[in-house]
Amino acid sequence: MLGGAFSAPTLMAMDNWESSTKSISGAAFSLTETQQKIVAAITELIIPKTDTVGAKDVGVPAFIEMMLKDCYKAPEHQSFMEGLASMEKVKFLDLNTDERRGVLKLLEQETKKITSKTPPFWRLIKELTLLGYFTSEAGLKASFEYVQIPGKLELIKLKPNQKAYAY
Amino acid sequence: MNLNIKANKNNTFDAIVVGSGMSGGFAAKELTERGLKVLMIERGHEIKHIEGYDTAMKQPWEIEHRGRTSNISAEERWANSRFWGLGSEEVVNHLTNDKENPYIEKRAFDWIRAYHTGGKSMHWGRQSYRWAKHDFEANAKEGIGIDWPIRYEDLEPWYTHVEKFVGVSGQKEGLEILPDGHFLPAMPLFAPEAHFKNKMLERFNRPVTVGRVANLTQPQDIHTSLGRASCQYRNKCQRGCPYGGYYSSLSGSIPAAMRTNRLSILHDSIVAEIIYDEQKKRAAGVKIINQNTMQTEEFFAKIIFLNAGSINTAALMLNSKSNRFQNGFGNDSDQVGRNLMDHQLGSGAQASVEGFEDDYVYGQRPNAMYIPRFRNWGNDKQTAYLRGFGYQGGASREGWESGVTNDGFGADFKQSLTKPGPWSIRIGGFGEILPNPNNRIYLDPEKKDKWGIPMIVTDAAFVENDWAMRKDIIASAVEMLETAGFKNVTPYDRPTHMGLGIHDMGTARMGRDPKTSVLNAFNQVHDCKNVFVTDGAAMTSASCVNPSITYMALTARAADYAVKALKKREL
Ligand SMILES: Cc1cc2nc3c(=O)[nH]c(=O)nc-3n(C[C@H](O)[C@H](O)[C@H](O)COP(=O)(O)OP(=O)(O)OC[C@H]3O[C@@H](n4cnc5c(N)ncnc54)[C@H](O)[C@@H]3O)c2cc1C
Ligand code: SF4
Repeated sequence: MLGGAFSAPTLMAMDNWESSTKSISGAAFSLTETQQKIVAAITELIIPKTDTVGAKDVGVPAFIEMMLKDCYKAPEHQSFMEGLASMEKVKFLDLNTDERRGVLKLLEQETKKITSKTPPFWRLIKELTLLGYFTSEAGLKASFEYVQIPGKLELIKLKPNQKAYAY
Repeated sequence: MNLNIKANKNNTFDAIVVGSGMSGGFAAKELTERGLKVLMIERGHEIKHIEGYDTAMKQPWEIEHRGRTSNISAEERWANSRFWGLGSEEVVNHLTNDKENPYIEKRAFDWIRAYHTGGKSMHWGRQSYRWAKHDFEANAKEGIGIDWPIRYEDLEPWYTHVEKFVGVSGQKEGLEILPDGHFLPAMPLFAPEAHFKNKMLERFNRPVTVGRVANLTQPQDIHTSLGRASCQYRNKCQRGCPYGGYYSSLSGSIPAAMRTNRLSILHDSIVAEIIYDEQKKRAAGVKIINQNTMQTEEFFAKIIFLNAGSINTAALMLNSKSNRFQNGFGNDSDQVGRNLMDHQLGSGAQASVEGFEDDYVYGQRPNAMYIPRFRNWGNDKQTAYLRGFGYQGGASREGWESGVTNDGFGADFKQSLTKPGPWSIRIGGFGEILPNPNNRIYLDPEKKDKWGIPMIVTDAAFVENDWAMRKDIIASAVEMLETAGFKNVTPYDRPTHMGLGIHDMGTARMGRDPKTSVLNAFNQVHDCKNVFVTDGAAMTSASCVNPSITYMALTARAADYAVKALKKREL
């Protein structure tokens, strides 16, 4: 088996078994300009620019569109599109920041009630925002202590406020 | 087959080795080091050690889909991408394109393949455990399958020989179920794992140890002389290691064979048939098909080692028909292709760990924690199933990924994900599968691949013993994690098939009786002694430990025997 413990990303990758055996062909996927704006606004609310770069700075919105197109299939596409449609319905882009946050909080709570096998919109956009941000060069380097070649393995004690290592 | 043996100096060798993977690499090393001129024939393309590891130094943002399987990869590698992480662009292009190399799943079988120099040894998890004495005796004692023609003692010196060369890091524990080997310094257990270890000993008297792994924690001359260096703890081994920090045929056996100047390697050459000389009653050589040009060619040698990987070795034997072997080469017993075994994988449990907030790790341990088999061992007796399982797993601190399922978004949320998260722990079982003649591969009577070779059909599945064991793998994992005081203990059970353990074996088993087995005690085909099979096909039972080190030990032992026999003109 793979060396090391199963970490969260491998857990997520495990789902590939199911998706790769399902024969749902990849559908064409693209977003309208309005939809792109909504995606960008939501990702920036999830990972805002602070004293470090935010989701938009590192290209998360375009990353999400690419990932949905390349790695997801019709059921997820549909789920994502339904989510965007409901955002359009509440005129998300016309809301102020506080109102937008309120919508996302509600969405977060509503998502918990969904039991379908297909990941709901909020779960998709949140997961892809975090993936895109924390594995981007600027996002990763701003967030973690990046160690490309550790050179040794050592049990250590965490210092106060120490950032996580990324490899 | 129409025999037209045109042997000449250019295509004649002392030995031919089919396959350059884990076992083929070792065969080439042992044979060349004993003075033989060897031709290694590999069906896949060439990958050069270091140079060929095109993704090894890629940074996370340079991996296009960041470790996810793209739809294209999932379509092209429809079987390979069933295994955790193998669909990622870190490795996916080094795995076989299943679309171009399809097989037929009469019953679903997760066949993971790597057709290139080094075979699967480039991607393996490096877990290396000796078999227990008991493993060689269990079939006879329980009346399962057939008896092994060898015992632990026959293999013991060869385990040592292999471990020294390969470099296995591990902790001596003095356990009968998991014999100690020749180890490099062990890697540490993490704090929650050490806690778990103590609890398991205290409450169940079950030992827990750190994984025994073929990564160089302290390289010796035997390693550095081949250009191998200490592991740098990146845990990106599957991409190929630019330091030679872990063992593969590419970093170890092939360079060792090369420096004898007695090894030639032929790439892109699919061995399609073994040529049998009806007069001399021995194998004369092999016929290959160039995978790119489709051209065929024949090569000849005094001895032939089959190391194409269990399934391909069996397929090659079945496809080699002659007057003498109308049912497939060496297949008088009808056991070639049968008794396909693996280790069942994909079930266990996970939990969150409270505490240990100050404990952290610098570097990535390319290794796991190991819990040796405790079932049907010692005083334990299970009524629902035979044999047992080991667990691999470990603890780690959660990273930003925990944010996916946890509530929250915004500046504080963003900030919180930059800190190491809480610890979690996970253990998963590797369960022994019994030999069963109905679990098999065979050649489709009609369908051919694009080289005109009959397609392989997989026809194998878990049986009752496996399902009963699986239940216990899950229940025991839950019990152990709970007993250790971990929280939110959650069982998991992925839908898997045979094959996913990537320990396919048994398709040309060793045995004493030619009527029920294919190979003798030195891995020689019973009825054609100059052909040796030393990959997983030779296995008479499966144990529950990762098998590669046993394949290599069998290979080294058979190679030693073969060269001695050649010198005595017995072959
Ligand atoms: C992700 C992963 C994790 C693993 N983890 C572990 C582990 O932790 N511990 C462990 O012990 N094992 C592990 N394994 C299994 C291990 O890799 C195999 O047991 C081992 O490589 C088998 O050796 P082999 O020589 O039989 O086959 P391979 O290494 O697969 O080599 C076979 C070679 O033969 C070539 N070939 C096939 N057919 C032909 C033909 N007709 N003509 C010419 N050449 C041919 C192939 O292209 C290949 O190069 C793992 C495997 C994978 C993929
Ligand atoms: S963990 Fe060690 S062996 Fe694996 S890739 Fe890194 S340096 Fe190489």
